[in-house]
Amino acid sequence: MLSFIAKRFFSGFMIIVGVVIVVFFLFFALPGDPVSMMVGQRTDDITREAIRKELGLDQSLPAQLYLYFRDLSPVSIHKDTPQEQQKYDYTSLLCFGESVLVLKVPYLRRSFQTNRKVSEIIGEKLILTVILALAAMFFATIVGISLGVMAALRQNTFWDHFIVTNSVVGISTPSFVAASLVSLFFGYMLGPYLGLNGIGSLFVTGIDGRELHLENLILPAFTLGIRPLAIIVQLTRSSMLEVLSQDYIRTAKAKGLSYYKVIFKHALKNALNPVITAISGWLASLLAGAFFVERIFDYKGLGYETIQAVYNLDLPIVIGATLIVASFFVVVNIIVDLLYALVDPRVRLR
Amino acid sequence: METSSLVTDNLLEVRDLVVEFTTEKGTIQAVKHVNFSLAKGETIGIVGESGSGKSVTSLSIMRLIQEPVGKIASGEIIFDSPKMGKVDLLSLSKDEMQELRGNDIAMIFQEPMTSLNPVYTCGNQVMEAILLHQQVSVEEAKKRTLALFDRVKLPRVKKIFNAYPHELSGGQKQRVMIAMALSCNPSLLIADEPTTALDVTVQEAILDIVQDLRYDEETSVIFITHDLGVVAEISDHVMVMYKGETVEKGDVWDIFNEPQHPYTKGLLACRPRLDFKMKVLATVNDFMEVDEEGKLIEKENNKYKSVGEALLLNFETEDEIKDRTKDLMMRPAILEVNNLKKYFPLKKNWLSRHREYVKAVDDVSFKVYPGVTLGLVGESGCGKTTLGRLLLRLLEPTSGEVTFQGENILTLKGNEMRRLRKDMQIIFQDPYSSLNPRIAIGEAIMEPMRLFKVHKNDKERKNRVVELLETVSLQADHFNRYPHEFSGGQRQRICIARALALDPKFVVCDESVSALDVSVQAQVLNLLNELKEKFHFTYIFISHDLSVVKFMADRMIVMNKGKIEEMGFAEDIYNYPQKAYTKNLIKAIPKGDLEDVRKAQLRRKLEKEKRMQAKM
Repeated sequence: MLSFIAKRFFSGFMIIVGVVIVVFFLFFALPGDPVSMMVGQRTDDITREAIRKELGLDQSLPAQLYLYFRDLSPVSIHKDTPQEQQKYDYTSLLCFGESVLVLKVPYLRRSFQTNRKVSEIIGEKLILTVILALAAMFFATIVGISLGVMAALRQNTFWDHFIVTNSVVGISTPSFVAASLVSLFFGYMLGPYLGLNGIGSLFVTGIDGRELHLENLILPAFTLGIRPLAIIVQLTRSSMLEVLSQDYIRTAKAKGLSYYKVIFKHALKNALNPVITAISGWLASLLAGAFFVERIFDYKGLGYETIQAVYNLDLPIVIGATLIVASFFVVVNIIVDLLYALVDPRVRLR
Repeated sequence: METSSLVTDNLLEVRDLVVEFTTEKGTIQAVKHVNFSLAKGETIGIVGESGSGKSVTSLSIMRLIQEPVGKIASGEIIFDSPKMGKVDLLSLSKDEMQELRGNDIAMIFQEPMTSLNPVYTCGNQVMEAILLHQQVSVEEAKKRTLALFDRVKLPRVKKIFNAYPHELSGGQKQRVMIAMALSCNPSLLIADEPTTALDVTVQEAILDIVQDLRYDEETSVIFITHDLGVVAEISDHVMVMYKGETVEKGDVWDIFNEPQHPYTKGLLACRPRLDFKMKVLATVNDFMEVDEEGKLIEKENNKYKSVGEALLLNFETEDEIKDRTKDLMMRPAILEVNNLKKYFPLKKNWLSRHREYVKAVDDVSFKVYPGVTLGLVGESGCGKTTLGRLLLRLLEPTSGEVTFQGENILTLKGNEMRRLRKDMQIIFQDPYSSLNPRIAIGEAIMEPMRLFKVHKNDKERKNRVVELLETVSLQADHFNRYPHEFSGGQRQRICIARALALDPKFVVCDESVSALDVSVQAQVLNLLNELKEKFHFTYIFISHDLSVVKFMADRMIVMNKGKIEEMGFAEDIYNYPQKAYTKNLIKAIPKGDLEDVRKAQLRRKLEKEKRMQAKM
């Protein structure tokens, strides 16, 4: 089991390294110049050169990549100066000459635009996206499993067909279409009656400072949850149908258990295995996939921020955000495997 | 009709039961007007082949027929419940029925492998039944569960209590199932083929547990099986079912001594026997046929007048056996196996080099002579299937050599091996899953011929396929049909035809008849023997069923834990087994002859009197 986890962590690590490399090179393929984005077109060449140098953009690509990785690595070698100390906020491990081997929190650099620390910006926005994703997933899971079980128990009736047909629609609707429609109907047209807004973030800075607007979570979470919901419905239904035809369900019935106990104790736990995988996989992709939904609802989470950063050619934020999402994928997948082993004792053997 | 419905002390009376299933082809009656009754402490054996309605009958008593596909159309099932008195199970409400299920009526199913819920521990599942029906604390329930595990003779009960089903063997799982069924002291136990998937030695132990139950608790048992040998051993009465109808029922002695219905006669005659060697097995069709109205009738001027005659006519005398076996081993061996080993790594530990192995085949050497059928028997997990696959190099051995016609096949390269494959074929256990459902059977048989470029073109090959189909008693117009249109026996014939397509010299039959009904099994076994005469095959016949191997094999090998326990002429091994393992194996087989029926009846009578006296 331990070696299994170790292997998974290693491959996850390699994935993150790969992601950084790909995003890094992709960024330089984007049209435009980050420096002009920062200072405008009319600055003179000397200022431009200075900024270029400050951001490290004057060096060769491989050198830039190396420096970025050095900043990222928790264990690295830096010059032993107060500036460096302040920049990286490191703990010295070993001194040799002018250099020092240090332990530090991965340094994601500063935004080209605002010069704020990327980790701070992402931390702030990530919370909002995590809340959104969790809310969406919570909604999708609860409703999806209930509908899926209901469809399975009423197989081939009107309700079964109704649920399955609608879930197909749910799966095939792109999130930006769904987001626009939901925002239009529930936010704009019905908004005044429902008390919901077409657009808006969880926190709105008003006269009294930051205000929490929980109602602004409802529509984005609902929109974001539609696809996972539809998939969970179908998975739960088919997996439930399969489990219900198993011999041990007959055994449970022969024991004299009530209908609901057979369904919820003996069938559901077995049927949930594929659903758990799907839910956790989706949770990770929701974090990343919230881009359109956040954009359309003007919900200022990580996705919103990343899109802005791409417009502004703000490399540190783009890489930082991608990195965080990739790490989420990796960690969530490892957790899924562990969960799997927890639910199904047969997996523990492997 | 029996008059038992007037007698009032019956525990269970099934009257005029009709069960219908709705299929694409319309409504089918799976059970047609079945009547039987069961007194307290008695056992009735229900016998029949697949599709005879025996399982459906038992599920109807539990009211567990899958609705709305199946439906109990009419009838009464009167059950004498300890709490409710005499009730008609079919008119009880769902709640009342739940109260009875698992409490007064309990059931053991055929498939112990899949009948336990994989995500709960064994102890948990048995405790659940106790907690459900009896007002006891969790601790008391646990104590009772452990006692039950003891009673069904499970080893290390505490460990098994916390074990998940996949950690147990098949026999152990079935014991857990029995413990679950016994947990609330049911007055009626329905056992639906409880030993079919198990080894004979395990079967014997399970039958003992069921026997003890009726002595100790006066539990009535409905024992459903296709194995007449088991019925002879365990039941007081027998009901024979065929296509949903009761064809015969009565006292076990009467049924075995003087079967009236041609189907019963056929069933009794078609079983391979342990006590003497038969040339050909009688089949059910030798005794009965279907008349124009679709009714079963006794065949006129049939081959055999009675079961006894069927046996006598096909009996092979000792002189004949001697004659046949005399020069079997004179010719050079077609296949020679030397020190063959196959170890499967159990745990891969990448930190240390030390590894544990399962020795599936452990240093096995033997010779197979041309034209001789070699039987390979042993309990599940003894390595017989692995050995069969090693011989064809479907698995790579750990070490050793296999020489086929003078060539060591283990050193051959891909191409050379393919050339040899033509001469060696295998017929698998499960005719249902070994045919591709999307390929017409004619194509399936033709495929190997194309692969090896036998015959010039597809037209010639097709002619050959038709020939083969006829050889295995199928028809030319079956060529374009798909596997699902055939019955199990027919499918196994198709598999045989496919194996024959390349004119092999050497055929491995891996449990080839285990999944078939006895009556069908007899036909397939006869066919295999006919083919052997015709084409001079050498068979390796792998089976857990000793009586089948006895019928088929000239020489046999008894395997145990990967090693050869005993090897020799089949007759010698059955009549004079040398090793304790072989003796046990042979002893455990229910023979189902009259002598055994009488002994079993006598034993039950004595047991009963003993208990009666003990009570006084």
